[in-house]
Amino acid sequence: MKLAFVVQRYGAGIAGGSEGLCRELAERLSPRHDITILTSCAQDYVTWEDALPQGPSVENGVRILRFPVTRPRRIKAFADLSDEVFEGGASRERQDEWFHENGPETPGLLDHLRTHGRDFDLVLFYTFRYFPSYFGLPLVADRAVLIPTAEEDSAIDLDVLPEFFDRPAGYVFMTPEEQKLVASRALHELPPSVVTGIGLEPVPVERPSRGSLDNLGIPSRYLLYLGRVDRNKGCDALLENFQEYASTRKDVTLVLAGPAKMQLPDHPQVRALGYVSAEVRAALLAHATALVVPSWYESLSIVLLEAWNYAVPALVNGRCKVLAGQVTRANGGLYYMFPAEFDEAADYLLTRTAEREALGRQGLAYVEREYRWPIVLSRVEALLAEVSRGVRQAGPS
Amino acid sequence: MGGEPGVPVDAVMTELHARVRERLRAQVIASGGSPAFEDPALFADVEALLHSAASTFDSTKLILPELLGDPDTWRLNTAMRYQSHRKRGPASVLIFVKRRVLMPLLRWLYEYSRDNFERQRRTNLVLFACVQELAVETARLRRELRAVAAPSAAGAAPADSAPESREAR
Repeated sequence: MKLAFVVQRYGAGIAGGSEGLCRELAERLSPRHDITILTSCAQDYVTWEDALPQGPSVENGVRILRFPVTRPRRIKAFADLSDEVFEGGASRERQDEWFHENGPETPGLLDHLRTHGRDFDLVLFYTFRYFPSYFGLPLVADRAVLIPTAEEDSAIDLDVLPEFFDRPAGYVFMTPEEQKLVASRALHELPPSVVTGIGLEPVPVERPSRGSLDNLGIPSRYLLYLGRVDRNKGCDALLENFQEYASTRKDVTLVLAGPAKMQLPDHPQVRALGYVSAEVRAALLAHATALVVPSWYESLSIVLLEAWNYAVPALVNGRCKVLAGQVTRANGGLYYMFPAEFDEAADYLLTRTAEREALGRQGLAYVEREYRWPIVLSRVEALLAEVSRGVRQAGPS
Repeated sequence: MGGEPGVPVDAVMTELHARVRERLRAQVIASGGSPAFEDPALFADVEALLHSAASTFDSTKLILPELLGDPDTWRLNTAMRYQSHRKRGPASVLIFVKRRVLMPLLRWLYEYSRDNFERQRRTNLVLFACVQELAVETARLRRELRAVAAPSAAGAAPADSAPESREAR
C-alpha cells in the first residue's frame, strides 16, 4: 500500500510519545509498504521553530517530506486562548484558532494533502490536537486513519471535536480506555478501529549491572519515577505523597530520573538525577523496587510497559483511567487515588517481596501477550487492510 | 490466555481499600467525628457513596449544571477576557495596555488566582456529584418505601413524607 504518515515532528532525535510511535511504526511497516512522512521542520514541541531542512529526505529507509512552520508558537497567547476555550462556550472560530495556535502551522503540508493526498491509499494522522491533523484530516477524510492519542484532559471536551471524530475512515487506539473516550465524544458509532499500543523488544536476558547506580549512590530499595519532573505529570502530588510516606519509613528512596521543570524538595529520601544516559536509565528500570506513574492524563504509558519488560511492578495514579486499566488488565501493579492509598499500596510493594515479584512477572507476561512488535504490527496491518478495502469499495470521491 | 494470575490486582486492591477505609474511620472517630461511624458497615456504605461521587466529576455526567442554566451565571470563569466599554479607538488602546503592559506585570498573580479557581471549580464539580449521588439514593429509597407502603395505602401517610418517617425510626 502507498501510505502517508502525518505527524507534527519526526526524526531519530525527537523524543515524544506519538512521534516515537509514528517513527517506530513507519520504520517497521516500510519493508512492506511505500511510506512517506509528512511533517514540519520543527524539533522543539514548545516553540515549533524550524530546525530541520525543508523538503525531501530519507531516514532509515523512510521517505520524509518536511514543511516549514510559518510562525513559532506564541506561548502566552496560546496559554490565554487555552484558558478561554477550555472553559467551555467558546465559538467554533476560537476553537479552530486554538488548533492554529497549538501549531505547528504548516500550510504547505495542507497544500500537499490537497494536491497529492489522494495519491495515497491511506493517510495516517498522529494526534488529534495539532494543526496538521486537525486541519489536514478533513482534506482526505475518506482515506484517513486517526491515531488520536487522546487523554482525558481539557482538550478532549472541545465541542468542535465530535464532528471531527466522525471524519476518519479508521482509528488506531492505544488502550481500550482511549477508544471508549473517543467513542463517547464522536457523534456516531466509530468506523473500523483497533487497539494496539506500541511494540517493545524483549530486554536482554542478562540484567544491566548495578554498577552505574552504585556510582550514583542509589540505594537498593527505591521507587522510580522516569520522565519529565513536572506538575503536569502529577509530580507535585507524588512528592507530597512520598514525603508523607517517607516520614514513617526511612528505608526507601524516591528516585526521579528526568529533567526537572518544577522546584524539588530538599529531602534526604528524594534523589533527583536530572537527565540520565540510556545505560543508567536501563539500570534504574531493571533494579527498581517499583515504578511510580503519578500522571493524570495518558493515552498509553510507555514507561509502564518498559518497567514490565524488566518484570518490575508499578504503582500508578488510579484517577487516570488508562493507568488503572493498564495495571488491572496486566495484574502488574497497584493504583492509588489519595495519600492513604498511596501509603498502603507503596507499603505492600515494598514489604511483600513474593507478591511484588509476582506482580512484576505478571506485567512481563502481559507485555509478551500484547505488546511485542509482531503482535502490534499484525493488528495494524489488519486494520489498514480493512480500511483500505472500504476506501476501494467506496470508489473515487 | 494468560491463566489465573498468582496475585490478582483486584483482590489486592480490595484488601488495600479495606485497610485504608479502616484507617480513615479510626482517624475520623479519633478527631471527634460522627458517632454513627462507630459502625464500620455504615462507614463503608458512606465512604463507597462519596468515593463513587468523587470519582465522577465529569460535568457531562451531572444534572445540576444543566439545571442551573446559563453557565455564565454560576460557573467560575478562569480565562482572562480583554474588554472595554469605550468606543472602538480608545477601547483598542486600553485593551493593548491591559494585554501588553499590565498583564505581563501581573501574570504571576493572575496565574496564582487561576490555579486556585481551578481547584475550586473541581471541588464544585465533586460536590455536584455528591449531591447527585445522594439524590439518586433518596429517590431509590422513596421508590422502595412507596412500594412497601402500597399494599396498605389506604389512609397511609403520603409517600413523599416517607424519608422523614424513616429517619424518625
